[in-house]
Amino acid sequence: MDVFYQQLINGLSLGGIYALIALGYTMVYGIIELINFAHGDVYTLGTFFSLAILTGLGVSGEVHGLALVGVVLVTMLAAMLLCGITGVLIERLAYRRLRNAPRLAPLITAIGMSFILENVMQLWKGPSPISFPAVIPNPSFQAGGVEIAAKQILVIVLAIVMMVALQLFIRNTKMGKAMRATAQDRDAAQLMGININTTIAMTFLIGSALAGAAGFVSGVYYGTTWFFNGFEAGLKAFTAAVLGGIGNVAGAMLGGFLIGLVEAFATQYIPQGAQWTNVVVFSVLVLVLVFRPSGLLGEAVPEKV
Amino acid sequence: MNPAVRRSLRFVPLLLLPLVPLVDHNNSHIDFLANAGAFILLALGLNIVVGFAGLLDLGYAAFFAIGSYSYAMLASQQFGIHVPFWVMLFAASGIAAIFGILLGAPTLRLRGDYLAIVTLGFGEIVPQTFLNLSQYTNGPNGINSLDSPSLFGHRFGFSATPYFYVMLGLIVIGVLLASNLQNSRLGRAWMAIREDELAARHMGINTTAAKLSAFALGASFSGLAGVAYAAKLDLVSPDQFQFNVSVLVLSMLVLGGMGNIPGVIVGSFALSFINSFLLPQSTNLVHSIGLTWIDFTDYRFMLYGVILVAMMLFRPEGLIPSRQRRAELREALTDPGISAQEQTEYQGAAR
Amino acid sequence: MRLGSALARLSAAGLSAALLAACSPSSTTTQSTSTSSAAPVAAAAGNVIKIGVELPLSGGDASNGIPTRNGVILAVEESNKTAIPGGFSYAVDDLDDAVQGKHDPALGAQNTKTFISDAAVLAMVGPFNSNVAKAEIPLTNDAQLTQISPSNTSNGLTQGDDGRKLRTSHPELNSFFRVCTTDDHQGAADAAFAKKLGFKAVFIVDDNETYGKGLADVFEAQFKKGGGTVLGHEHLNAGQTDFKALLTKAQNLRPDVVFFGGTTVSGGGLLRKQMGDSALKTVAYVGGDGISDDTFLKTAGTMANGSYYTVAAPETSKLASAKTFVANYKKRFGVDVGPYSANAYTAAMIEIAAINKAITAAGNKMPARVDVTKGVAATKGFVSPIGTVGFDANGDTTAPILSLYKISGGKAVFVDQVNLKT
Repeated sequence: MDVFYQQLINGLSLGGIYALIALGYTMVYGIIELINFAHGDVYTLGTFFSLAILTGLGVSGEVHGLALVGVVLVTMLAAMLLCGITGVLIERLAYRRLRNAPRLAPLITAIGMSFILENVMQLWKGPSPISFPAVIPNPSFQAGGVEIAAKQILVIVLAIVMMVALQLFIRNTKMGKAMRATAQDRDAAQLMGININTTIAMTFLIGSALAGAAGFVSGVYYGTTWFFNGFEAGLKAFTAAVLGGIGNVAGAMLGGFLIGLVEAFATQYIPQGAQWTNVVVFSVLVLVLVFRPSGLLGEAVPEKV
Repeated sequence: MNPAVRRSLRFVPLLLLPLVPLVDHNNSHIDFLANAGAFILLALGLNIVVGFAGLLDLGYAAFFAIGSYSYAMLASQQFGIHVPFWVMLFAASGIAAIFGILLGAPTLRLRGDYLAIVTLGFGEIVPQTFLNLSQYTNGPNGINSLDSPSLFGHRFGFSATPYFYVMLGLIVIGVLLASNLQNSRLGRAWMAIREDELAARHMGINTTAAKLSAFALGASFSGLAGVAYAAKLDLVSPDQFQFNVSVLVLSMLVLGGMGNIPGVIVGSFALSFINSFLLPQSTNLVHSIGLTWIDFTDYRFMLYGVILVAMMLFRPEGLIPSRQRRAELREALTDPGISAQEQTEYQGAAR
Repeated sequence: MRLGSALARLSAAGLSAALLAACSPSSTTTQSTSTSSAAPVAAAAGNVIKIGVELPLSGGDASNGIPTRNGVILAVEESNKTAIPGGFSYAVDDLDDAVQGKHDPALGAQNTKTFISDAAVLAMVGPFNSNVAKAEIPLTNDAQLTQISPSNTSNGLTQGDDGRKLRTSHPELNSFFRVCTTDDHQGAADAAFAKKLGFKAVFIVDDNETYGKGLADVFEAQFKKGGGTVLGHEHLNAGQTDFKALLTKAQNLRPDVVFFGGTTVSGGGLLRKQMGDSALKTVAYVGGDGISDDTFLKTAGTMANGSYYTVAAPETSKLASAKTFVANYKKRFGVDVGPYSANAYTAAMIEIAAINKAITAAGNKMPARVDVTKGVAATKGFVSPIGTVGFDANGDTTAPILSLYKISGGKAVFVDQVNLKT
């Protein structure tokens, strides 16, 4: 049973990172119905930015006390800001022109953006994995035979906090309302005086900033990154968003945690399970899309015509 | 000159293609052409799915893998089965078509972008499965020493020349098939679905059958390409069929012009040329003058990305577009500056 | 010789002849000893004989490829200072087989074809990785072009049915050789060392690639044979970064050692690093030569300490014949030798010796590739920085020496050495 709980923790902390990425997917899809394929790479970019900032701050090992809080906040917020700006730029340069084009056009553009970002990162830091300084001290706690590391708690808590903050933002602020209105009916929203361009840019800003946060956390958590990280993580996060019901913020988080759990338990309980995790996760994706395209928490939306 | 004659004159250079190996004896050139041929076949197949029927398939390499592995398992020492190459060409395209239907059937209800993601997931699952089932597929080692095809007692061996002719023959068949399909009742049904599925259904088109046949026919082309490519390379391994292969073929389509057969051929040839000839050769060139830190092949993925983005933004119909596709993709661009410019261009083209 | 490749070679020769004739009108030597290469070959090659180097030279794999290539460069530069019959000189022509920083069999095959169609290339050094070799051997066998790998350890490349299947064009004359030992030796040595170190229960992880899985499979069989217990054997996904679930599965089985079959980049470095966050923190880690690079030290950080790995080469500091090489290498490149630099140097030296002999036999003219291959195959007792080297009928080295290293204090320390054919 200890193994079960240990894998539960492993799955939740892996899932926390998927959840943070999935939030961005779900926001963008919710508002302009685009699978922002480059989102996974914005997440990787988040790890690269974080690494650059830490290097700039001269941090190469563990930091303690107040300095720790400072370093974490500065690095994470700066990475979020930089990723947010990148997201807005991508939207402005690559997607805005295609807003009314056939749906496949922006999707193909997004795949192209993803390849460009990957190549840029490869040229920036080279194609091999890069180590990431272990900024956060990592004491672990024993609880009934299960070992929980501080970093694992950080990931899980951060995912939940971000999700709740995002939910509150969308529910209660004016911009949040504008987003919901734009998602529901772009033309009507425009007639009501909502600036569509600003609203969509804001969506990209927030979604990409969350990817930046995920990037920072994953860098600290795994102590490594490489340029191609985002492809698989992005795909799995998208799976999470779909599983939870795309467009649904709480669903994205639920989906993220579930995908993390699926991976951990598949590793543990399938004989030679490690090699089958990707197959299992992508099978989940295919099955969910085929049998319940609206996801766990989403509502069935008829195709807009 | 009579326009019909003039039009057919354009194809005269194509008749010279079979002569290439007789003039150019450089095996690596013929080898390149044969490989490019495999990608032209793949692009022709993907064009049926994406270009004609408008179903974005991001896991097309999976069918390529299925074709290749079919040959590797049924025509090698692996299981001691030795089905002749020429039979396998048809068998593997049939097998790939069946998988096309298996993938297509449950996903038909899905919207375009969801479908794209399902195919992407499928494209990830297939090579991973071939890798994991190592007792049948040798896992990461792949299957090698495949049966060498032979024709009239002449064994192909490692020379690229016979494969060049095989590819050429398959491309001719593929082009004839695809262009006939395009102008058939089925082809018109695909175009109707591509432009407005709901309307197409209401016009009485059996969208299910039409979409399934697009998947099956598209997959069958990659089955053909898979067999020929596997026999030529004499090796099949799971890492040959990753996502970047699917994106490469898609880039070929986007570059040349989705839905237009000459465009697709030009696009795939151009990208193959850049990829396996221009980039390595120019890298060698700059290396030979001492600039060893430059490696153009590092920019391969940048190139695919830029092609996809730039083409979609500035010339979504491709370099050599089909007329319908151009109209369809262009009318949607709302930027007033662009549409004004387009209008004039368009009127110019119509004249 | 089939018609197609004969024609191809002729045309390549003719083309380069024309080119060279244009820029160096003085080259007038002609020859006709070779049956497969036509008269213009000597003129074509001018006075330069190329050693083709086929290695991963970019990206994460470059830390393997570049020190290895440097070995060949050193061999060529030293040979050019000696008297070469026929007034020839040697040059290195290198091609990179890495795509996105990872070795790629299809690109390797492509590179090999490029070498085959260049008449000035009389021998190849490479490839580095076994799956790449698998794609290349049938090609070099067909062209009878000598190929010596400094590092391919997969058995099936030369031995048994698998090996025979790779040389169907010329079963009578093998053209693929290796100066390193094979996986069964490396896996067996790893298992023997693990036993000697007192480990009893192992959890095996491999990267599901040709080299890694092959090595892990042999290790598993040999470790069991030696009375050890294998608690599990798992395969990683390409690009996997989260090993926590896998390590939980492993730690629950309480191994006293984790064996990794694969390379640093394919997961070996990260897996070791993440062991530091698990209950396996103090458990030993054993691998093959795939984790014998600097990248491993960087990736695993402090957790690198306590890892063991074998290298399919003798420890150069223990061999008198290696001292000069190590010093010359350091002088030429300003860095210490890589694990396979000496192997590559030796491979190139063996080829150059055979080419020199073949030149003389051909009357100081450009020799045929097949004669070079025959010369290399006959190599016996060749004194080199890696000891005395010769080849058996399969092209495998007759001196399979392996060394074990332990990482402590962030540095690899030599522990033990075995010669498996004594």
